Amino acid sequence: MTCRDRSNEFLSAVKLLQSRQGNGLVMPKQRRDLRARSEFNVIAKRIGRDLANTFAKLEKLTLLAKRKSLFDDKPVEIQELTYIIKQDINSLNKQIAQLQELSRSQRAQNGKHAQTHSNSVVVALQSKLASMSNDFKGVLEVRTENLKHQKERRDQFSQAGATSLPPSSMGPGGQTKSLLYEEENRQNGGSDFAINMDGLDKNQHQQQLQLVDQQDAYIQSRADTMQNIESTIVELGSIFTQLAHMVQEQEEMVGRIDANIEDTQMNIEAAHSEILKYFQSVTSNRWLMIKIFGVLIVFFIIFVVFMA
Amino acid sequence: MKLFALSVLYKSPDGKVNQLKAAHELSSFGYFQRGSIKEFMDFTSKIIVERTAQCSRASVKEQEYICHVSVRSDNLAGVVIADHEYPQRVAHTLINRVLDEFSSKISQQQWPVIKESEVNFTTLPDHLQKYQDPKQSDAMTRIQSDLDETKIILYNTMEQVLERGEKLDDLVEKSEGLSMQSKTFYKTAKKTNSCCVIL
Repeated sequence: MTCRDRSNEFLSAVKLLQSRQGNGLVMPKQRRDLRARSEFNVIAKRIGRDLANTFAKLEKLTLLAKRKSLFDDKPVEIQELTYIIKQDINSLNKQIAQLQELSRSQRAQNGKHAQTHSNSVVVALQSKLASMSNDFKGVLEVRTENLKHQKERRDQFSQAGATSLPPSSMGPGGQTKSLLYEEENRQNGGSDFAINMDGLDKNQHQQQLQLVDQQDAYIQSRADTMQNIESTIVELGSIFTQLAHMVQEQEEMVGRIDANIEDTQMNIEAAHSEILKYFQSVTSNRWLMIKIFGVLIVFFIIFVVFMA
Repeated sequence: MKLFALSVLYKSPDGKVNQLKAAHELSSFGYFQRGSIKEFMDFTSKIIVERTAQCSRASVKEQEYICHVSVRSDNLAGVVIADHEYPQRVAHTLINRVLDEFSSKISQQQWPVIKESEVNFTTLPDHLQKYQDPKQSDAMTRIQSDLDETKIILYNTMEQVLERGEKLDDLVEKSEGLSMQSKTFYKTAKKTNSCCVIL
């Protein structure tokens, strides 16, 4: 988002109006507000410009990462570029955080509209940054896929005995995308606003694959056990999420039961009060009593008269 | 799953093998046989280490025992005699650990010349005892068994959650019926109130 800073024009227009009206008292406050607003705008403009630059670099990286040929790969460039982009994203994070702080601190001086405007500007910048980090992550994943394919192809064409280091606890690097390994890297390099940059370190390590170690059954079995453990843990994780999901679904049913019971209670209360009213009307209804007695006596007399 | 013996040997470059330290667990054998069995085990370990090349591991089947042997690059060797069920990986982990400890405690120059009685490495029997139960001592098997238990518990929990779902369904229906009935009750009460005003 590139915004043009037209605050100078606005200032000159204001001065013109004020010189016409001669309202000198209000000026200092307006000028201070304007200065604060223009500071905000300057920073936002800078952030927008940096975002556009980083976008362009990301485009270049995407192009580089998509190349699939075996020999034309430029790993140095790609690494440099990813490093630069990572730095940029981090600095943009910090700048946006500062901008948010600034807009919060200016809350006292600004009106409601100006506040919502600064909030929406900050939110827009944040969403742009988030989408860019998503793209970056996608590019890194594509790059690791390509590296994997390249390695497989290289192995196909090279001699036998080229085995990859299994992801044992002995050392880093491995062909399989071990989630444990990703977790480790996630802890090493994280940022607060953007999504995690786990692909970057994985790239660097995969490029340092060492094919020196001998095929050892012991290490292999350790590796197998580790992979077993890791898959079990992943399964456990998924079971937990499923469990949480199901409990959450049932939550809704509990809510329905609650609503039904409340309805019932309300109905019963109302019916109770109706019956009470009726009872009141019946007991204190003298006219009714007189009428009933009248009818009874009439029937009694008729009965007695016709019988006798 | 039992471990019978754990020993550390030194294989000199000219092929001779010296036993540096050994620990045995012979309580399952009869009292009179223990001496001969111990000697037999030591002898077997020596021969196996002589036959194993440097920087390699092997697991040799011997009647009803398996000997796991590992010879390191600095000519230090470890032998574990176990039964058939003992997992190979744990045995080799044990050998690695014992050899590392040994090499850190006793310096390398002493290995060719030191005699068995002078070797000051007392933790060998403790290791032997600890690793009798691979599930507890080996971290990976322990984690594996814990995870499996947790998985079983979680499956049970899932089933119970499903039952809970069914019961909640039941409750929903009953509460809906109750709500309908109370509504009818209210309507009837209202009707009685409104219709008999003429009397």
